[in-house]
Amino acid sequence: MSHNTSPGRLLVVDDNKVNRLLLGRGLEQQGHRVAFAENGRQALDMLAHNNFDLILLDIQMPEMDGYQVLEKLQEKLEWRDIPVIVTSALEELDSVVRCIEMGAEDYLTKPVNPVLLRARIGAGLEKKRLRDQQRELVRRFATAEVAQDLEESGFALGGRFVEATVMFSDIRGFTTLAEAQSPADTIDLLNTYYTLMFEAISGQGGVVNQMVGDGLMAIFGAPLLLPRHAEQAVRAALEMIEMIDLFNLDQAATSRPLIHIGIGIASGTVIAGYTGTQRRATYTCVGDTVNLAARLEAYTKIAGQSILIDESTRQSLSAAIQTSDLGLAQVTGKVQEVRIYAVPTGQKA
Amino acid sequence: MQAQLVIDPRTYRQLKEQMGADFVRELVETYCHETGRLIEQLYQALAAHDSAAFARLAHSIKSSSASLGALNLSQQARQLELTGQTNDLSEAGPQLERLSSGFLKVKRCLEELRDEP
Repeated sequence: MSHNTSPGRLLVVDDNKVNRLLLGRGLEQQGHRVAFAENGRQALDMLAHNNFDLILLDIQMPEMDGYQVLEKLQEKLEWRDIPVIVTSALEELDSVVRCIEMGAEDYLTKPVNPVLLRARIGAGLEKKRLRDQQRELVRRFATAEVAQDLEESGFALGGRFVEATVMFSDIRGFTTLAEAQSPADTIDLLNTYYTLMFEAISGQGGVVNQMVGDGLMAIFGAPLLLPRHAEQAVRAALEMIEMIDLFNLDQAATSRPLIHIGIGIASGTVIAGYTGTQRRATYTCVGDTVNLAARLEAYTKIAGQSILIDESTRQSLSAAIQTSDLGLAQVTGKVQEVRIYAVPTGQKA
Repeated sequence: MQAQLVIDPRTYRQLKEQMGADFVRELVETYCHETGRLIEQLYQALAAHDSAAFARLAHSIKSSSASLGALNLSQQARQLELTGQTNDLSEAGPQLERLSSGFLKVKRCLEELRDEP
């Protein structure tokens, strides 16, 4: 365990002044800033007006005890992720178990051992930091609604298998386009393009998780569960094409170049989770489904279609969406031929 | 010798080493003051037959006493806490008397230790 945990703002809740002094002293010696509350009610008051990174919580207290505090913390979204370390006597282990079931992160027995205190606080603060970071990433890559949904349904961002639909999209002939106009115009164009695409994707519950140059990857069904992820991905694709058409009308009116996009969509099992390092991480999916979606996107140029989907996406679609069977195709990277379908644009699904 | 029985010397020494002598002096004063107050409240809870408050107050004394190395007193407080939890305070009077006199010994002993160099 590291001996130089970054300092945090801690709240010590204990009705016994000696315990408060002791914990406070230990924590201040470790470089943290400490505030004190004598009971649960006072603690909630302080939480309402200040930000804390971690709470050290006594169980037995007058007015409002530790259990009630834990209950309140769960009720409020912005409090839910503050790690709580329960401080208790050794013979109270049953109570500790209950606290952990109620959302407490960890526990320390009193009298508190300074080495354990340092270790537990360090681990708690680190978890808080990672959670803040995850939340920030989700905010950045998802819309406020999706981020909110995620927070409410609880984060499930660890690596896992999920049934999802993956979408790849990029601008056709972008390099030529970029060469024909000023760099400022190109960036401007990309920003408008991304804004429109984000709107269509997140409007259908998808999450854009990668943007590279003029291409993007979006996931429907993870990290937010979507029961009809395939249908929603295809609807998003149709909206994207519609938006590009509208955008092109605008471009044409000001004699600026038109853009065309290709979209590939595939559904199936993916491995989803956070990847990267502690400093930089992103939510992503890997697996055959992801590869297939990327290949289908590339294949739109060969097929001369705007939207291509795989067999399993098509099978999940409602009758409201028309598709046309393009038969078996040899897609790069696949040994066997795969059956592909085009989704005619301009249909009002 | 008396001091060593009432206060665990190892706990007290560690506390002084880890937290600093000045801080421990302040801590001892707070402890004596607070524990005196808690014992008063225990008598009130006993008179009011409030066993929940009785258990909670005893719990508090148990916890801070252990921190300062007053292990016997902490054990006594633990017994009072258990009594409080049974909702039957009929036997609690003599127990509380013993705790009260035990605390006086602890207080004297802590004051001695506090004034040591």
